[in-house]
Amino acid sequence: MKQYVAIAAALASIITSLGVLQAAVPTPGAPQDHPIALVGGTVHPVDKPDIPGGTLLFERGKITAVGPTATLPPNTEKIDVTGKQVYPGLIDANTSLGLTEIGAVRASNDINETGSINPNVKAEVAINPESEQIPVTRSNGVTLALSAPGGGVICGTSALIQLDGWTWEDMTVKAPVGMHVKWPRMTTITAWWMQDSEDKQKENRDKALKDVRDAFDQARAYMTAKKGAAPGTPALENDSRWEAMISVLEGRLPIIVDADEIQQIEAAVAFAEAEHVKLIIDGGYDAVACAALLKKDDVPVLIGGIHRTPQREDDPYDAAYTLPDRLRRAGVRYCITGKGAVFNGDVRNLPYHAATAAAYGLPKDDALKSITLYPAQILGADDRVGSLAVGKDATVIVTDGDILEIPTHVEMEFIQGRKVDLTDKQKTLWEKYKEKYRRLGIKN
Amino acid sequence: MLPLRRLSPRLWLTGLGVLVVAGMVGATETTVPPPGIREHTPAISALTHARIVAAPGRVIENGTVVIRDGIIIAAGAQVAVPADATIFDLTGKTVYAGFIDAYSELGGPPKPPMERGGGRGRGQEPEGPGTPAPKGGANYWNSKVVPQTRADQLYQPDNDANKNYRSQGIAVRLVAPSEGIIKGTSALVTTGDGDNTRSVLKDHVALHAMLTTRGGFGEDSYPTSPMGAYTLFRQAFYDADWYRQAWDAYRKDKQLPRPERNDALDALQGYAGGTAPVVIDASDILYDLRADRIGKEFNLNVIVRGSGQEYRLLDAIKASGRSVILPLEFPKPPNVKTPEEAMGVSLETLMHWDIAPENAGRLAQAGVPIAFMSQGLKDTKDFLGAVRKAVQRGLSADAALTALTVTPAGLYGIADRLGTIDAGKAGNLVVTDGDLFADKTQILETWVDGQRYENKPAPLADVRGAWRLTLSEKQAPTDTIKLLVKGDPDKLSGTLSKNGKEAKLNDVGLNDARLGFNFKGDSLGWNGVVRMTATLDAATLIGTGAWSDGAAWTWTGERIGPFTPEADTSKPKPPQMASFPVNFPFGAFGTAGPPAQPAAVLFKNATVWTCGPQGKMAGASVLVQSGKITAVGANVNAPTDAVVVDLVGKHLTPGLMDCHSHIATDGGINESGQTISAEVRIGDFIDPTDISIYRELAGGLTEAHVLHGSANTIGGQLQLIKLRWGALPEQMKFDNWPGTIKFALGENVKQSNWGDRYTTRYPQTRMGVEQLVRDEFTAARQYKARWEDWKKRHAGIPPRRDLELDAIVEILDGTRFIHCHSYRQDEILALMRTCEDFGVKIAAFQHILEGYKVADVMAKDGIGGSCFTDWWAYKIEVYDAIPYDGALMHNAGVVVSFNSDSDELARRLNWECAKATKYGGVPEEEALKFVTINTAKQLKVDNRVGSIEVGKDADLAVWSGPPMSTYSICEQTWIDGRQYFDRTEDAQRRIDDQKKRATLIQKILQSGDETPPGGGDHKGKWPRCDVFDEQSVEMEGGR
Repeated sequence: MKQYVAIAAALASIITSLGVLQAAVPTPGAPQDHPIALVGGTVHPVDKPDIPGGTLLFERGKITAVGPTATLPPNTEKIDVTGKQVYPGLIDANTSLGLTEIGAVRASNDINETGSINPNVKAEVAINPESEQIPVTRSNGVTLALSAPGGGVICGTSALIQLDGWTWEDMTVKAPVGMHVKWPRMTTITAWWMQDSEDKQKENRDKALKDVRDAFDQARAYMTAKKGAAPGTPALENDSRWEAMISVLEGRLPIIVDADEIQQIEAAVAFAEAEHVKLIIDGGYDAVACAALLKKDDVPVLIGGIHRTPQREDDPYDAAYTLPDRLRRAGVRYCITGKGAVFNGDVRNLPYHAATAAAYGLPKDDALKSITLYPAQILGADDRVGSLAVGKDATVIVTDGDILEIPTHVEMEFIQGRKVDLTDKQKTLWEKYKEKYRRLGIKN
Repeated sequence: MLPLRRLSPRLWLTGLGVLVVAGMVGATETTVPPPGIREHTPAISALTHARIVAAPGRVIENGTVVIRDGIIIAAGAQVAVPADATIFDLTGKTVYAGFIDAYSELGGPPKPPMERGGGRGRGQEPEGPGTPAPKGGANYWNSKVVPQTRADQLYQPDNDANKNYRSQGIAVRLVAPSEGIIKGTSALVTTGDGDNTRSVLKDHVALHAMLTTRGGFGEDSYPTSPMGAYTLFRQAFYDADWYRQAWDAYRKDKQLPRPERNDALDALQGYAGGTAPVVIDASDILYDLRADRIGKEFNLNVIVRGSGQEYRLLDAIKASGRSVILPLEFPKPPNVKTPEEAMGVSLETLMHWDIAPENAGRLAQAGVPIAFMSQGLKDTKDFLGAVRKAVQRGLSADAALTALTVTPAGLYGIADRLGTIDAGKAGNLVVTDGDLFADKTQILETWVDGQRYENKPAPLADVRGAWRLTLSEKQAPTDTIKLLVKGDPDKLSGTLSKNGKEAKLNDVGLNDARLGFNFKGDSLGWNGVVRMTATLDAATLIGTGAWSDGAAWTWTGERIGPFTPEADTSKPKPPQMASFPVNFPFGAFGTAGPPAQPAAVLFKNATVWTCGPQGKMAGASVLVQSGKITAVGANVNAPTDAVVVDLVGKHLTPGLMDCHSHIATDGGINESGQTISAEVRIGDFIDPTDISIYRELAGGLTEAHVLHGSANTIGGQLQLIKLRWGALPEQMKFDNWPGTIKFALGENVKQSNWGDRYTTRYPQTRMGVEQLVRDEFTAARQYKARWEDWKKRHAGIPPRRDLELDAIVEILDGTRFIHCHSYRQDEILALMRTCEDFGVKIAAFQHILEGYKVADVMAKDGIGGSCFTDWWAYKIEVYDAIPYDGALMHNAGVVVSFNSDSDELARRLNWECAKATKYGGVPEEEALKFVTINTAKQLKVDNRVGSIEVGKDADLAVWSGPPMSTYSICEQTWIDGRQYFDRTEDAQRRIDDQKKRATLIQKILQSGDETPPGGGDHKGKWPRCDVFDEQSVEMEGGR
C-alpha cells in the first residue's frame, strides 16, 4: 500500500512538473468575449492583396476589420504579430476526420455504412470530438475539414466541421454539404493485383450504375408521390433514404461524385445534367480532358490529392503535380484536397499538396486560395469561411513563415474567435520524452 | 545404391532404343498377342518425284525417299525404288522433315483462369491440369519440388489432338509436366495414332522448372512468392548435392546414421555440371535472364522456355549462350478504338504488339538457337500460321525450318533420329503443295514413323472442268448444253448452260465419285428446279435427272475442257515491319542505352550542400572525373574538355537515398509462407523496368534500399540499388556492398490485422517473436559449429547446406546487417537485448516510430533509426508515433534517416526531410543528411555515397532552388557521373513517346486486325509463365 502511495506521489509530481501532460484532447477554446486585434503581421486576406503590417480585428467570433490599420474598440486585446503571417484557417475539402481513429481497429471506424444506397446517413452525427487526430490536424493550420462518409455507391451526406468544439454540434459549420456518390470505374483493369475478372468488373460496374440510376428514379417517384399526396389518398409510408434525396433532386444539395477517369467524369456530368442536380467532381485526375463539359455546367473539382503517382504507366511523372495549374488554365473551378493521403493522420499535410502544385506551375496565390477560398466557395461556405473578410468567421492562423513551406510553424490559431489550444497528443509525448532526455543530460 | 537407382532404367531404355533401330530389317516385334488373325501389311513406302528439302538449305529436286518399317532407308535424287515398296508419286509436291513441337504441357491447353478468392488467403488453388501430386514414395519436404514426376508415365495419347498437331506438320512433341517449381522430366512423343508402347519416343528428355509459383491470395504454402520459388530451386539443388555426398559417405561406412531416402533428390542427380537439359520457364524478359543466372550457379545446361520478349534484350540473350523455345501466340492489338480507351494502353503494349512477331527473326539473326512451341497457342491449328507470320516478319525460311526440326532435335539429344530427311532417321515427313512458308501452301500429308496421315484426303474423283451434256429428254438436236464445275474440291460451284443461257448450280456436292446438283430451270426452258446426279466413270459422267414433276431421265457428259483454277490476282500485302527501334526499359521513357559518362564534368556556380565536412558552400564547384568526385570547392581547376554544367542560382546536393523502398521488385515483396524466410533474396527479383525508378530519379533519388515485406519475423535478404534507369537487373545493384536482411516485429508478424483466420502461425505475441529470434540465432550458431567441425575433420555424414541458416550465420559473423521493421519501444528493446546476447549488430531499425522512447539505448549501441516522418494512427502500434521522433533520436545521438516506404513519397524526400526542421528544430543542413549521408551510414556505404566529397561516387541532384523549399524542384539527377534525369530531356521524351503512340495507334486502326474487347492495359508483372496475358494472379502486396 505504501508503495502505491509513493508511486502515486511520484506520478503526481511528474504531472505537476510537466504541466502540459494531458490525458485527453485539449479543452476547447472559450467563446470570444472581447475584441482581438492581430497587429503588425502580413495579413493574407486571400480574396484581396496581401497587407504587410496590417491589422485584423475580430469580435464575438466575426471579423470586423481587415486592413493596413483599423480603429480598435476600447477593450481590444492587441496582439503584436509583427514579422508573422496571418492567414484564414485552411480547409481540407475531403477527409473522414472524426469518423475514424485507428484504421486497423474496426471498433474505431465509422466511415462506411453497409449496403449500397445510404443517402440518409449524415457524417456530422458520428464526429468524435475527442479524436486525437483533430488537435494534431489543426496544429498545422487546417482548421476546417469536410468529413464525408464512404460506404456503398450513394454514401450519405458530408459535413463541414471546424476543428474545435465540445460536441459535434459545436463543430458543424455546415451540414449537409453534399451527397457523396462513388461513380463506378468505367474501364476494366487487368493488372496483376486486380482480384476480379474483366467480366466480373463489368458486372460490378453495371450493377453500381443501375443502383445509382434506380435510386434516383425511386427517390423521384417518392418525391412525386409525397408532393402529389392529397387528402383522401392513402398516406405515404416514410422512406428515410428517399427523404434524404429530396434536397438533391430539388437542386439544393449537390452530389459530390468520386470520379477520376474521363469516362467517369463525363458519365457523372451527363447524369447530373439529365437529373437536373448540382454536381461537384471529387478526384478529377482526368478533369482537364473534360474541361469544356465541366465549364459548360460550371462543375467544380475537388482535386483528389497532389501527392499521388501518375495513374497511367505512360503519364508524365508530374501529372498529379501539374493538375491544378492545368485546370486553372482550362478555366475549371477547383480546389486542392489532401485525398490520396494514406490515412486521416495525413490531413495536416494539406498545405504541402498546394505547395507542390505551386512548385509545378500553379501561381502561389492560387495555391493558397486552393486550400482556403476555393474550397469554401465550392462547398458553399464562403459566407462563413475561406478568407479574411469582414463578416466572416474569425477562423485565423498565425504562422512564423510561409504556410506552404514545411518548416513553418503555426503559432496561434482562432476558430470563430476562440483561441485554440495548439497542444496535441504528439506534442505532449514530445514534451514527456524531452523530459526523459533532459534528465539524461541530452539537449533537445 | 539408392541415389543412383534411377540411372539403371534409363540405361536400359536407351539400350532398348538401339534394339529398335537395329531391328528395322525385319518386321517390328511386339509383345502383344494377336487378337485374331495376325496382321502383317508391308510397311515399305517410296515417295517419288518429290522436291525434297532434306535439311534446311539442302534441297533435292525430283528425289525419292524410301521408308521401311518406320525408318528412312534412303533419300536422294538417285535412289532406286525397291520392288516391294508402295509408290507415292509426289510430282509437284515438296517434302520436309517432320516438325518437332519443342514444348507442350501434359493435360493440354492451359486451364481457365483460377477463381479468385475473396481476399488475402481465402481463395483455394484449383487442382493443376496435368500432373498429380506424388502419392506414396519418399518425397521432398516441399510438394512443389517433384523432379521424380515423369511425363512419359503420365502421358495419354489423344487421337483428336494428334490429328491437329499433324495438320501443322508436327510429328513429334515434347510433353512436360506442368505443376510445381521443379516439375519433373519430359518425354518426346510422336503424333501418330497408337498407345504409349509406340508413341513415347524418349523419356527423361529434360528436367523442367519455373522460378515462380502460382502464388496469389490463395497461396498459403511455401513458397508464396517468386523469390521463394527461386530460392527453393536453389535449396533443392544444394540438397541434391548433399544427398549424393551423404550416401557416398554412408556407403563407405555403414556404421554412420543412414541418410534419408528421397526420390526427388535422387531424380535431381546428374543435372548440375551435366549435359542433360533443364528447361526453365520465362514469363517475361526478366525471367529469361533469371533462367540463365540460376543455370550458371549450378552449371546447368539450361534451355529457356522463352517469353516472346527476347527482342528487348537481344545482346543479353545472345551473351547468355542459351537456346530459347519461343511461343507463337502473338499479341492481339490492344483496344484503341476510342481516344479514352487508348489512354489506358501503354506504349509498351503498343510496341510489343508491333514487334513481337519479329522476335524469332531477330533472335535467329543474332545467332541464338531457337525452337518453337505450341504451348500458349489458343488453338494448335494456329501453329504453322504463326511461324509463317514470323517468316514474313524477318525470319529466314531456312532459319524457320531449322527451328522446327534440326534445333529441337539437337536440344533434346535426338538429332541422330530426328530433324532431317536422311537414311537412318525416323520416317517423319511433311508433304506440301508448295513452299512451306507461303500463305496458301497446304500441308497435305504428315508421315509419322513411316505411317502416312493425309490431312485432307484428295477427292476420289475430280469432276471440275467443262462438260458437254447429252440429255435423254427435252433436248433438241441443236441445243448445246454445257456443265461447268469449279471451286475447291470440298466446296464446288458451277453453272449449267443451254445455248449460252446460264443457270447457277445449287448444292453442288461430290460424294466419293458421285456428283449431285440442282438449278432453277425456268430460264433455260425447263420448269421449276431440276435435280441431276452422275457418277464419274473413267472420263464420262453417267447420270440421272428429275424434272420438277418428278419424272426421271438419264444423261451423260463428256469432258470438253480441263479445270483451270482462277489466277489469284490479289497482291499479297507486304508485311509491315516494326515502326520503332527497341529501347529499354521497353516502352515509354525507355532509353537507347546508358547515358554517357563524360571523362570530366564540372558543376559550377552552385550552392553546394555537401552533407560532409565542407558543409554548405555558395558559388562553389564540383568536379567529377570518370564517375567519381575529384574536387569540391570555390576554386576548382577542371580539364579543358570537361563538360560544364553552369548552376547559377541552383543548388547541388548529393543524390538522395531512400532507406526503405519496395520499388523495382517483381512479383511481390513478401515470402510469407514461413515464419522465417532468411533464405530469399530481393536481389533475385530486381525489376529495372519499373517506371517508379524513373519517377523517383525525377525527384533527385539515386539509391533505393529495396526491402522484403514485414509478413514474417525474419524476412529476406535486401538489395541496395542505384537507380540506373536503362540498366539490367544485375547492373542496378550497388557493387561491393555488405548486404542487409529484414527482420520484423509487432503486429504484422503476429498477423494481427490479417483477419480472423490467421491465429495459429507462430508467433502470435511479441513474446513469441522474441523467442523465435533467439531460437534462430542459437540454431545458426550450432549450424556454424557443425560446418567448422566438418571442415576440420571431414568425418561422418557431411552437414547439409541450409540457405536460411547461411544468412543467419552471416549476421552472426557481422557480414550481413539487420534492418528491422519495428514500432513499439518494448519490442525494440527486446531485439536489442537479444542481439547483444549473440554479439549481433543491428544496422538500423526501420519505421521505429517509438524510437524516441529508447533513443538513448539505440545511441549507446550505435543503432540507426530510419523512420517515416509523420505517419500515424493507422493501427494500434503507431498510435504513439510522433513527428518529433527523428529530432529526438538525432539529438540523442542516433544516426537518423527518413525513408519513404512508398513509391509516391520517394519522389520528394527533399521536402520530407524538412519535417525534421519543422518538428524538433533540426538545422537544415543536418536535416538534409537524413536523406543522404545518414542513410548511407545505415547502409554501410557512407564511404561511397551520401555526401559530396572527393573520392565518392558522383551521385548528384540539381535543384531549382534551396532543396528543402517546397517551391524547388529537381532539374537533373546524376549517377556515377552520368546524367540519368534531365527535366528538359524529359519534356522531349514525352513528345517523342506521344508521336510513337500516335503512329502505332494508327497502325492498329488501319490494320483491320480484330481487337479484343476491354480497356485498360494488359501489362502486368506476372509470376507465372504461360499465362502472361489475361490470367493474372494476385500477389500479396502487404508491406
